[in-house]
Amino acid sequence: MNKITEVVPFLAPVQILILSVIVIPSFYVVWLSLHASSFGQSATFVGLQNYIKVLTDPAFLLALGNTVLIVIFAVHLELALGLGMALLFASGLPCRRVLLVAVLAPYAVSEVIAVAMWRFLFDPDVGPVTAMLTWLGLPMLDWSFEPSHALIMIGLLTIWLHLPFTFIILYAARLAIPKDLYEAARIDGATPFDAFRRVTMPLLGPAIAVALLFRYIFAFRIFSEVWLMTQGGPARSTEVVAVYLYQEAFSFNAFGTAAATAWIMVLASLLLATGYVFLLRKQVAGNAH
Amino acid sequence: MRTDKLAIGLGKTVAVAVILAWSLFPIAFIVMSSFKPGQDIFAVPPKFVFSPTVQHYVELWTGWGVFFTGLLNSTIITAGATIIAITTSTAAGYVYSRYSSRMLNASVMFLIIVRLIPPIVVTLPLFPIINAIGLNDTHIVLMVLYATFFVSLGTVLMRTFIDQIPRELDEAAQIDGAGRLTILRRVIVPLAAPGILAVAVFVVVFAWNEFLFAFIFTATKAKTAPLVISEMIGSIDGVDWGVLFAASTVQLIPVLLFVIFMNRYLVAGLTAGATKG
Repeated sequence: MNKITEVVPFLAPVQILILSVIVIPSFYVVWLSLHASSFGQSATFVGLQNYIKVLTDPAFLLALGNTVLIVIFAVHLELALGLGMALLFASGLPCRRVLLVAVLAPYAVSEVIAVAMWRFLFDPDVGPVTAMLTWLGLPMLDWSFEPSHALIMIGLLTIWLHLPFTFIILYAARLAIPKDLYEAARIDGATPFDAFRRVTMPLLGPAIAVALLFRYIFAFRIFSEVWLMTQGGPARSTEVVAVYLYQEAFSFNAFGTAAATAWIMVLASLLLATGYVFLLRKQVAGNAH
Repeated sequence: MRTDKLAIGLGKTVAVAVILAWSLFPIAFIVMSSFKPGQDIFAVPPKFVFSPTVQHYVELWTGWGVFFTGLLNSTIITAGATIIAITTSTAAGYVYSRYSSRMLNASVMFLIIVRLIPPIVVTLPLFPIINAIGLNDTHIVLMVLYATFFVSLGTVLMRTFIDQIPRELDEAAQIDGAGRLTILRRVIVPLAAPGILAVAVFVVVFAWNEFLFAFIFTATKAKTAPLVISEMIGSIDGVDWGVLFAASTVQLIPVLLFVIFMNRYLVAGLTAGATKG
């Protein structure tokens, strides 16, 4: 017991930062979400009205739909690409370290600059990628007018920015699989495809689950890419949940509904997190054997 | 058999070429275009041979002084956030590594759960509070916000790295009469340097590039470089692509070199961060 009080000064800075910047404000958001309030007005208690208002607002439902679309489209495509790349790297490549660093490069790029790149590359008038698509006889992405095209752009951009993360998680997990297992599989007469199905996939399972959950959680809060690309427009058609929240709070001064949106986001993340923690526990237990 | 091997080799080469193009082409394109004279930027197909010019950098320097203030702000904020995050997470990671109790274990779980709260959530209550205490548009707000959103990952990472340092070293130092703070500074910190660097990579990259908090909590004095670049993108009288590419290059190159040089620590941090919490 004595020991614990002695180590408190070492823990206090981290805990104070987290409590004062994240935890207490988050609970205050709960209070906000149960009240109707705006700048300079005193709040009145309204129960769950804000939540009902948000959940029945067509703009929110559209934003939620867009978010889910981006999450499902981007995260799974990203996982498939990351997995393919991890297996390619593990199969033996020359200058692996150099290639690895090249693949990591987008990790260093700010969302702001990534959006600048994408807006130029896919510019309907002067963009080189647009020119190439036209040259190949493919339709161009008319992202500033066509909401579905804008969402595809945002999805591609998100994949570009986060692929290094997914790739590294899967690659590290693949390298951790002992070579003996593949040797044994080969001796037993397994084809490379059998080895992939019976050795690689089951052993990569936990890493895939971790990468997926992390990316679900982080893709769900996507803001900057969308805001910088379209500001949610045209006519709020490309908003995502975080952009909806921002608009409610900072454009319409509707703090009550913004707070309700925030808690819907937190609850969605926690729900995903429960799955994550569960997997983590299982993995920790697995490591102990 | 030989044609098989050839086909596999060819397939791999193509795959690697596609991966390299995907990862590097957009970055190379920005850097290259920033040196292209005026109309060459818009040439179709893109010009890869051109007479390089620093004209856009001169325009950036003369027309966008605010960008260089932004870079300075970004530097100060990144340095501050990194120092706060590293010192606090190392201290906490040390305790979590060396001591164990029901309460400590519960608070690690708490750290992991906190990571799942989206940053935009806390802007709602913090915005009026920060305004009320007169801290909006200051460096310190962004330093603290950036550091806080990484201390939970930082602490868990530091615990993982410190776990690998033999306890016997602590005990030997303790017998020599060293206190906890001395052990942390003289024994743990030097040996946990790779962990500290891994945490530093995360915080530096995040703080240098972050948009949302900077957008909400700064206006003029503490405006960061990404925010100035976002204003260039949203410029009403049309985007001046040459200047935008020049500014993007200046913002990007330092952090890109940093990631390249620190790639080992980044990989170690990502791996440990994802599997250990």
